[in-house]
Amino acid sequence: MPQSAEHVLDHFDLFRGPEYQQMLANKKKMFENPRDPAEVERVREWAKTPEYREKNFAREALTVNPAKACQPLGAVFAAVGFEQTIPFVHGSQGCVAYYRSHLSRHFKEPSSCVSSSMTEDAAVFGGLNNMIDGLANTYNMYKPKMIAVSTTCMAEVIGDDLNAFIKTSKEKGSVPAEYDVPFAHTPAFVGSHVTGYDNALKGIIEHFWDGKAGTAPKLERTANEKINFIGGFDGYTVGNIREVKRIFGLMGIDYTILADNSEVFDTPTDGEFRMYDGGTTLEDAANAIHAKATISMQEYCTEKTLPLIAAHGQEVAAFNHPVGVSATDKFLMTLSRITGKPIPEELARERGRLVDAVADSSAHIHGKKFAIYGDPDLCLGLAGFLLELGAEPTHILATNGGKAWAEKVQKLLDSSPFGQNCHVYPGKDLWHMRSLLFTEPVDFLIGNTYGKYLERDTGTPLIRIGFPIFDRHHHHRYPVWGYQGGLNVLVWILDRIFESIDATTNVPAKSDYSFDIIR
Amino acid sequence: MSSLSATIQDVFNEPGCGKNANKSEAERKKGCTKQLQPGGAAGGCAFDGAKIALQPLTDVAHLVHGPIACEGNSWDNRGAKSSGSNLWRTGFTTDINETDVVFGGEKRLFKSIREIIEKYDPPAIFVYQTCVPAMIGDDIDAVCKAAREKFNKPVIPINSPGFVGPKNLGNKLAGEALLQHVIGTEEPEYTTPYDLNIIGEYNLSGELWQVKPLLDELGIRIMACISGDGKYKEVASSHRAKAAMMVCSKAMINVARKMEERYGIPFFEGSFYGIEDSSDSLREIARMLIERGAPAELMDRTEALIAREEAKAWAAIAKYKPRFQGKKVLLITGGVKSWSVVAALQEAGLELVGTSVKKSTKEDKERIKELMGQDAHMIEDMTPREMYKMLKDARADIMLSGGRSQFIALKASMPWLDINQERHHAYMGYVGMVKLVEEIDKALYNPVWAQVRKPAPWEKAGENWQSRAMAQAEAEAAALAADPVKAEEARRAKKICNCKSVELGVIEDAILANNLSTVEGVREATNASGGCGACAVRIEEILEQMVSASHAIAAE
Repeated sequence: MPQSAEHVLDHFDLFRGPEYQQMLANKKKMFENPRDPAEVERVREWAKTPEYREKNFAREALTVNPAKACQPLGAVFAAVGFEQTIPFVHGSQGCVAYYRSHLSRHFKEPSSCVSSSMTEDAAVFGGLNNMIDGLANTYNMYKPKMIAVSTTCMAEVIGDDLNAFIKTSKEKGSVPAEYDVPFAHTPAFVGSHVTGYDNALKGIIEHFWDGKAGTAPKLERTANEKINFIGGFDGYTVGNIREVKRIFGLMGIDYTILADNSEVFDTPTDGEFRMYDGGTTLEDAANAIHAKATISMQEYCTEKTLPLIAAHGQEVAAFNHPVGVSATDKFLMTLSRITGKPIPEELARERGRLVDAVADSSAHIHGKKFAIYGDPDLCLGLAGFLLELGAEPTHILATNGGKAWAEKVQKLLDSSPFGQNCHVYPGKDLWHMRSLLFTEPVDFLIGNTYGKYLERDTGTPLIRIGFPIFDRHHHHRYPVWGYQGGLNVLVWILDRIFESIDATTNVPAKSDYSFDIIR
Repeated sequence: MSSLSATIQDVFNEPGCGKNANKSEAERKKGCTKQLQPGGAAGGCAFDGAKIALQPLTDVAHLVHGPIACEGNSWDNRGAKSSGSNLWRTGFTTDINETDVVFGGEKRLFKSIREIIEKYDPPAIFVYQTCVPAMIGDDIDAVCKAAREKFNKPVIPINSPGFVGPKNLGNKLAGEALLQHVIGTEEPEYTTPYDLNIIGEYNLSGELWQVKPLLDELGIRIMACISGDGKYKEVASSHRAKAAMMVCSKAMINVARKMEERYGIPFFEGSFYGIEDSSDSLREIARMLIERGAPAELMDRTEALIAREEAKAWAAIAKYKPRFQGKKVLLITGGVKSWSVVAALQEAGLELVGTSVKKSTKEDKERIKELMGQDAHMIEDMTPREMYKMLKDARADIMLSGGRSQFIALKASMPWLDINQERHHAYMGYVGMVKLVEEIDKALYNPVWAQVRKPAPWEKAGENWQSRAMAQAEAEAAALAADPVKAEEARRAKKICNCKSVELGVIEDAILANNLSTVEGVREATNASGGCGACAVRIEEILEQMVSASHAIAAE
């Protein structure tokens, strides 16, 4: 056997050895009822045809390779953005393990989150006891300042009433009566992780502003000059929120970041484990009611939160994951208008540098066709930047995008000659995208880690932007917002373009006459 | 074997070079040795010029004898393309150190040659002399000779150390090295009546390959291309070609002319930039080959091919004409490329509003005038402010320029397309012109330019530097218009000779006072053109104008 204790091979090498190859071949031949390879090949090729695409798009029930996650994931993401807050998901513990691994694999950080661990009997008789015990245990074991409750499908299907359950739990002494336990119903069979983010944040704000579920007087708003900022569900939250704080600092704006999870997803390795780190203080969360305005960077992550805030008398402004020069201009001008603060020289220079960088490299991006998939706001932000670069977005797809989103994307595309040959696909999945890439090929694909299968199958080079990114490290530490963020996105796109050129020109004595050191 | 200084003198005597032919004996002696303004932004040196000219020879080991500076900065720095060997891209240098400087680097050079032969066994090694070994007295000619005898392999000294002069001189010295040591040293396996040399073509971005298929189709063999995608043996046996085309007019004229003199190979100066130029060049090639004994039917086939290719190219370009309607181009690039590209752009329906002639000769200027008409706006030394003004007045929509001026264009908020050696596309031949037009279209319509021109949304009107500069320029212009004395002062204050800092007024006064009629006279009186000599063309123009003006006065 090729494997030996002295020199242990991992799967990269082990199964390529002749013994394993022979074994796998035998297994296939003798036990797997193998098909004629020519027939396999024929079907593979057929799956690339317009005929297959038509059948693929006629799918009514089945989703294949969805580009979205579930509500509670978004709820957990929002909850950890508050000071010493532990997300508590009422429902089955397996779901919660998924959120933790999902977030950990993306941010390469531990992700703390608890579950009420409902089992079969809880599903039959209701999860009240799980809530009572769960809150008590969480409170005693992890000493959180706040427990933010959301739900999995299981609890939603049987109709557990969080408000009543939490009230009962407090009566039973699980947590002190005045202890903060905001909640949100977040069934995965409605919406996606961006909806869950919205619901959880709304639940927390409502809790603090509107009388803590009837246990405290509602807050009265006395307007001040502060600005609230909401990032939305964002894989780049670490870099983005830090960048936004820097921008606010440069402009001299007094601000509150709501759901600031930029620290907890980027804790230092210095010998101390931080189960909680950073986050919006509970005091700030409550006082956010007095702010002059609230800015949301992602409209579709705050569809319910912003109206709630607006109803309290604040101005609200929503953006669509702004990336690039014009989008950042709009963001800053809105800030400037609301606060009356001028744009500082430092930001003006950063703008000039981004324009300079775009101009230096525009020839390489101009006219290149892109397919984009991701969350609705990110798709809009990236499409806007691509149009600005002279690239041609060709397919824009969001599994969790709706009709209103599609119309908004179409409007954006209509605003530029570079958007004329693009189609929007709301509610479609990555298997649809596969057909699109085969029948209407593009030069590059922008998406998350799951795009690597599309890259392999269709040969379309993947630019990894989005969530989750599991197979590349640390990109979440870089901002994509602000002019500096635009520069990062530009560089990621360009890097892939040049890598792709190198990869197609590197065969010695065949194509390497174009394997140039200057690009 | 002639000494380096003798070779340089010989190059300066080049009768094929119009610029040299127009010079006086004393001027010729000084040659093209641009004494650059100390402190000025300088171009490449003679070593760089030699390397550029020969580096595209693909199967040769190019060994740079000197400290790391020379090869370290020039290794694989050009986009020439090879269809065969990649040896030319390997950076070979002796990388001499302090000890070598004290005790001499000849031994290291010899060992380096031996190691190349042992490890790579190329058909030839070119050894480039650089400043430091030249100054300490390393005799690369002797080392190369010894190596040649010892290893029985062509080891060619390229004697063009940086300090002898500018890049252009280096091009010519490289040509001299080929003439002296390479051309005519081997015999081709066979010859045909269709054997052609192409001289001064570097196959940048693989441009030659856009023309070669046409020649192949006509049965014309490129016997040797000097030096793009060239092979040593081809160059060594290129003396058996029937005719030659010289592509980059000034770089290797000595090679073309001396090959005519020594081997009777007639040459013409042509260009494959632009549709009509390509057709003219193909016709000329056919004509020359027929004159040298090829069957006359070659011309019929050539005409048929031209008709076919032109039709295809025009059809492809026609699509763009509506998009180019009323679009104006500013062309900032040196020398021969100016006029050849001017023709090409006009073919695409673009209007030229200006071109630089910084590195152009008088003939180049004339050619541009011929193509663009009398109101050709030739920009000698355009400042960003002037560039911006042209743009602002909607007098230019795009600037085509070399890699270095792109940055000026950007700061002046102007769309820009690279057409010099760092470009990434091939513009030669019929398809190349379609590609150029396609790229111009892209640059014209790239949304970044709207972004560049648009001030930041928080900027108030009139507060950026452009607006201030425009306001200042307008104020200055108004002041001059109102005051003829000041206007005359300003006119006379225009700097003609940058090296010696001589103003137009000084030159005019000297011409009138001393009744001068030659550039030499002006130089003796004012020192103008006593530096790099580039302004001699402008002084000639001043002389012409003043002479015609005085005739007019005399006729009254």
